[in-house]
Amino acid sequence: MGMATNVLRFHLDQRAVRGSILVAVVGLLLIPVIVDSDDFPLSTYPMYATARSNDVAFATAWGRGVNGERLELGLGVIGSSDDPLIVAGELRASIRAGAAEDRCQEIARRASSEPSIIWIEVTTERHDVVAHARGEASLIERTVHASCAVSGVSA
Amino acid sequence: MSLPGTLFLRPPPTAPPERLAAFRIILGAFVVSYLVVRMPVFLELGTREPSRFDPAGAFQWIDRPFRGTANTALLVMTLATGVAFTLGWRFRVTGPVFAVVLLLLTSHRSSWGQLLHFENLMVLHVITIAGFRAADAWSLDVRRRNNRVVAPAPDVRYGFPLQLASVVVVVTYVIAGVAKLRYGGLEWLTGDSLRNHIAYSATRVELLGGRSSPLAASLVSNARILRPIAAVTVLIELAAPLALIGRRFRNVWVASAWFMHLGVLAFMFIGFPSPLLLVAFAPMFDLEHVGERVEAYVRGTFVRLDPS
Repeated sequence: MGMATNVLRFHLDQRAVRGSILVAVVGLLLIPVIVDSDDFPLSTYPMYATARSNDVAFATAWGRGVNGERLELGLGVIGSSDDPLIVAGELRASIRAGAAEDRCQEIARRASSEPSIIWIEVTTERHDVVAHARGEASLIERTVHASCAVSGVSA
Repeated sequence: MSLPGTLFLRPPPTAPPERLAAFRIILGAFVVSYLVVRMPVFLELGTREPSRFDPAGAFQWIDRPFRGTANTALLVMTLATGVAFTLGWRFRVTGPVFAVVLLLLTSHRSSWGQLLHFENLMVLHVITIAGFRAADAWSLDVRRRNNRVVAPAPDVRYGFPLQLASVVVVVTYVIAGVAKLRYGGLEWLTGDSLRNHIAYSATRVELLGGRSSPLAASLVSNARILRPIAAVTVLIELAAPLALIGRRFRNVWVASAWFMHLGVLAFMFIGFPSPLLLVAFAPMFDLEHVGERVEAYVRGTFVRLDPS
């Protein structure tokens, strides 16, 4: 690398060299756009770029109490992270990969310190997000992919 | 002058070594701080089931996760070389090594089903300047050979890496703007997509047991103002190349982009730390003046502490 640095230092005063490096870097950054494939750290930056409707499906998980009541789990229990992007993305990937059951057990282990939670459900829920943001009833459809007891035994 | 003229035709982009050094320090301190704050997340990756591994970035070549000690060692090495990068210690070695291990660490982070786009720019910036002479001022390397080397004069080898880093910023914003037109089309600009994205973001975090922005509900209920905001957002992203033309355009664009990120943080609770803390835009500015003020302040403080 030291040699590379010396070569760069030697030639950087030449316009053609600087131009070539700039074109190469811009070209590299544009490759994901040309092939339409998002990756890291070269990206198409597709986040929030789609035309989104107000009817959206979400991957999520809930706890159930002894009377079947729905209990909130929290980001740290569902995904072992405080970042909703990470928790949602990874849960969605697990469901898509057919690993919802494994994920349910993992969440159940993390929820075991909360005695009011008897079992866990990993779900996909469709909501009217505008209604939800306004505090109105929003649930359209609910699919349970996996459920498991907090002790770790399948329910 | 036109953009191609700015980049290729005008005299070489010379800069004093302190300007590139200041960017090295700001960028290095930001990345190290980010890694320290997110350390629990990076450490937890080493305990995950390999079945959930979905390789991204550099890990597409490695194709298996780093578990336990290997993951911890990667994080420790990234932090250690990050500190060396920031301090400018043996930079010709530690700079490139930091770029490689940071790419590995963040690729590993993105290899579990969710790409984190706010890490892209900081990684690209480290890679951009790591191979150049970013430690010829304000560094431990300079202190080590202090009596043997005269302070270098402004040179293209200090200006060009900053120009390159600025181009990287500009291109990433343009790509983000193009993505909205490509994937969202006119509907993104003229329809209710932005309102729905804000509502989606609030709903997602609440369904996961988190708290959404209290401002989201009022904005969603007043959707008419969001249509012009959507158009302005895309305009800001596509207008990024203006930042390379001159100081006035640069200042206006950077301020616009910063307020855009502030709005995203306020209404969606999504923070892009690098632009919000102005690190992303730093290579566009004459940073040596900031550094000189800090240096003068530190020296003044020492003189006051030691009047002799």
